[in-house]
Parts: sequence; C-alpha cells; structure tokens
Amino acid sequence: MEYGPPPLFNQGVSARARLAFFSLVAAALIIIDAQVNALDAIRNGVEILLFPVQRVLLWPRDLARDVGDYFITLGSLSDENARLRLAAIEQSRLAMQASQLQLENDQLRKLGGVRERLNVPAQVVVALYESRDAFSRKVVIDRGSKDGMKAGGPVIDETGVVGQVTRVFPLTAEVTLITDKEQSLPVQIARNGLRAVAFGGQDPSTLELRFLPANADIENGDSVVTSGLDGIYPPGLPVATVLHVDRDIKDQFARVVLKPVAGMSRSRLLLVLLVDPPPLVPAAEGTRSGSTGTVRGDRAAAKAVRR
Amino acid sequence: MSALWQRLTGARTEATAPASVRPPTLGRNLRPEQVLRPVRPAFIWATLGGAFLLNLLPWGRAIWVPDFFALTLVFWNVHQPRKVGMGIAFVFGLLMDVHNGALFGEHALAYTLLSYGAISLHRRIQWFPAGSQSIYVLGLLLIAQLASAAVRLWVGGAAPYWWLGLLSSVVGAAIWPFLTSLLLSPQRRPAKRDDTRPL
Repeated sequence: MEYGPPPLFNQGVSARARLAFFSLVAAALIIIDAQVNALDAIRNGVEILLFPVQRVLLWPRDLARDVGDYFITLGSLSDENARLRLAAIEQSRLAMQASQLQLENDQLRKLGGVRERLNVPAQVVVALYESRDAFSRKVVIDRGSKDGMKAGGPVIDETGVVGQVTRVFPLTAEVTLITDKEQSLPVQIARNGLRAVAFGGQDPSTLELRFLPANADIENGDSVVTSGLDGIYPPGLPVATVLHVDRDIKDQFARVVLKPVAGMSRSRLLLVLLVDPPPLVPAAEGTRSGSTGTVRGDRAAAKAVRR
Repeated sequence: MSALWQRLTGARTEATAPASVRPPTLGRNLRPEQVLRPVRPAFIWATLGGAFLLNLLPWGRAIWVPDFFALTLVFWNVHQPRKVGMGIAFVFGLLMDVHNGALFGEHALAYTLLSYGAISLHRRIQWFPAGSQSIYVLGLLLIAQLASAAVRLWVGGAAPYWWLGLLSSVVGAAIWPFLTSLLLSPQRRPAKRDDTRPL
C-alpha cells in the first residue's frame, strides 16, 4: 500500500505481514490436511457448530419440495401406483425364487464347507446436500459417527452402488460418489466375470475401467457389478453399464466408459452398509510371510482404511 | 470504447491534465459527492453473516451461483478496510471449507488473498462508478478462485471441466453494482428521520 496511513496513529500489523501470516497458516493447514488426519478434531468441532445452521438452511428447499409434492396430480399418482404394483408382482416372483435359491445355496455351501456370506447390516440415510465444489463429487448425509457411521462404508440406493462414506462427522458424514475422480471400486463384468477396477471418468457423470488389455472381452451394454474382492463392497451389487469401448491399436489398454446405474444426484434416500473395513494386511498372514497377505491390493480398500 | 476508456481513466486524467484540456467526463467527477453516514458495525456483521448463510444454502451443482460471502467481503474490505480485515476472511474461509468438504485451509487461503487484494486496491476502486468497479472485482474473484484451483491441482484432485466454475466469478462481478447500492443504502440515508426519508 503506497498510500500508507499516517504513522501518527497506531495501525497495527501491516497488510503484507498479515497476508504472509494468514497465507502461511492456510498453506500449513492444507499440507497437514492433505497428508495426515491430524485436523479431524478441529473439523468435527466446526461441523458440530455449523450443523444446526445447515439444517435450518435446508428448510426452504425441503418446504418447496413438499409444496411441489402436494400438488402432484392424481393422474401421475395412479400411474405410479400401477407401475409399483407391477414391480411388486415382479419382485415377489423374484423373492420366491430367491428364497428357494437361498435354501439350495445354503445346502450347497454346507456341502462344500464354504463359510457363509454374512448378512450386512444397513442403515437408511437421507442425502442432505451436495457439496458445492467443482473439483469433487460429494454428498452429505444426515447420519454421523453418533449413529454408527464409519468411514469406508459402501452407500447404495435402490438401483446400485452410489459411493462410499469417506469422512465422518459426529452428526453428518460425507459420501464420495463413485463418479469422483479419486474414487475407485473393484468390479467385474457380470457376463463373464472379468475383473477390473472402476474409476471416476473424464466426463463428470461417467466411470471408466482402466488397465484392461485392448482385446478384453467387453461389449457395449455389458452390466458391471462389484466383485467383492476388496472386502468392503458386497459382491454382485450393480454398478454401471458399459457405454462404449474404445480399442485404439496404438494404445496398450482399452478405454472403457461406463454409465452408472444409480441415480448419481437424484436419489435422496440412500442405504449405508455398515461393514467393517478389512485390515490391509491380515494379522495371521502378515506375521507368517510378507507377500501373501497383501493380495487384497485393491485401491478402494487401501483408500478406505487410510481415510 | 473511448467513453469506457475515459470512464476508466477519468480519475487519472483529471489529476494530471491541465485545466484547458480536461476531458468532458470531468463534470461527472465533480458531481457533488454525498457524504455517507458512518456505518454501524452490527450492519457489517449482519451482512457478512447473511452472505455466509446464503453460501450455505443447498445450491448443489449450480456452478453459476456467485460466492456471496466473497462479494460481501470484498465490499467491506473496499469500503471499511479498517473494520473488516484478513482475519475475518480467514476464519470464515475455514468454516466454508468444513461445509464444502474441501481441504482444510483452501477457502481460507482464497479469502485471505481476496481480502488482501481488496484492501490494497480500496482507494483506487472507490474512484470509479459501480459498473467499472465490477472489472476490478472480477479480477479479484478470479484470483481467489484460481488460488483454490491451484491448491486442488497441486494435491492432484482436479476434476475435468473445473474451469467452468469460474463462471461464478463472472456472475458475482455482474451483481456487484446491485450489491454496492444495497449495502451502501443505510449510509446514504438523510440524517433527519422525516417523511421523505426512504429507509
């Protein structure tokens, strides 16, 4: 500031010194937050302070929504009713089949001596708001560590995988959508069991499979489900369908673009599966020999545990 | 174009040009300036808090929505730099980081830079009419947004098309004249509380 104020009065610290001080503090906070989790306590405290304000500010939107819902016409409701009834009939058929298959499966598993697949406890949550950030895709939900949320829990809606709980506050939690660039998820092609890892795609609303050879057996329209290899996502949850496959001869890998099946930003009610993330290196194997324990190398697992 | 140039440089030419060749915009510059009433600190805090609450509304993915808090912060930094400084910017930035799930300190850094820029330019900006001030404000807002983008790029989490988010700065600069007249209106009230006083 060339026109400095007259030195007659006490002006305090100069603007440049203040800028340097606050920028350094901010830079230090950024570095600490990017590298380690040391700031979570402060973050939790601030979040508890902000929480009531955030909830109050959601009221206008919810009110507008409720008013809109109230004026839904009779016609659309009866349409929806008919559709739901059809779906219910279809699902009851599937449910009957499923119970029969379950019995059969139990018997076969007993015969084979395979450990039974555990039923995963789950909790219904409401998506409060999307974080306003051009860089990442996150949704904040209305349950936090007080309700037993843990970082790493998979989040699904009625159609498929939505994302993963990545940060837990006492009263809320952040869910990173699978379309986030940083998010990865072990999947397989339902048709042939080909395994791959799905990442957030270039286009904000897509996923992509990386590191698949150019001659991999993938076709447009293939459905992609979770493989369960990471021990976090239960196997067989629908994730996406293949939008197109780009097999460039110059490139070693195929470029596979997927369209997620779950409504990435539309669904409000979500289901969080309360699974315990597996340890990175299982203790028993880790002590025996180093390398066999780390077969579970999926990045999603590593990421979830790290967070 | 020349009119715009004169508007932009009007303050300078008036100071340096001899009396005989003064530009025609001089008349406007000599227009009697209203002496503003002193601002009430409660009003500053209320507007800053209100702007912060506006930012907390669930805007979702509407990237064009301007950063209301940044705009209000620039306004008070320009008009009351002794009362609103970088400390306030820093603290509100941290709150914004928690709300958005961003890196802790990202918005704090951006708002600190914004505040410093506004405080350094506050004498110059006040010379211009509100429309021309928008250009300065646009620059300041873009610098702040690019600072936070740089942090993200450095950490490695940049999403494709992130630059579309810069649109919010443009919208913010566009509403600056309205914001200025709104936030200055309590200080422009006539002193006497009679029937002609609008507020």
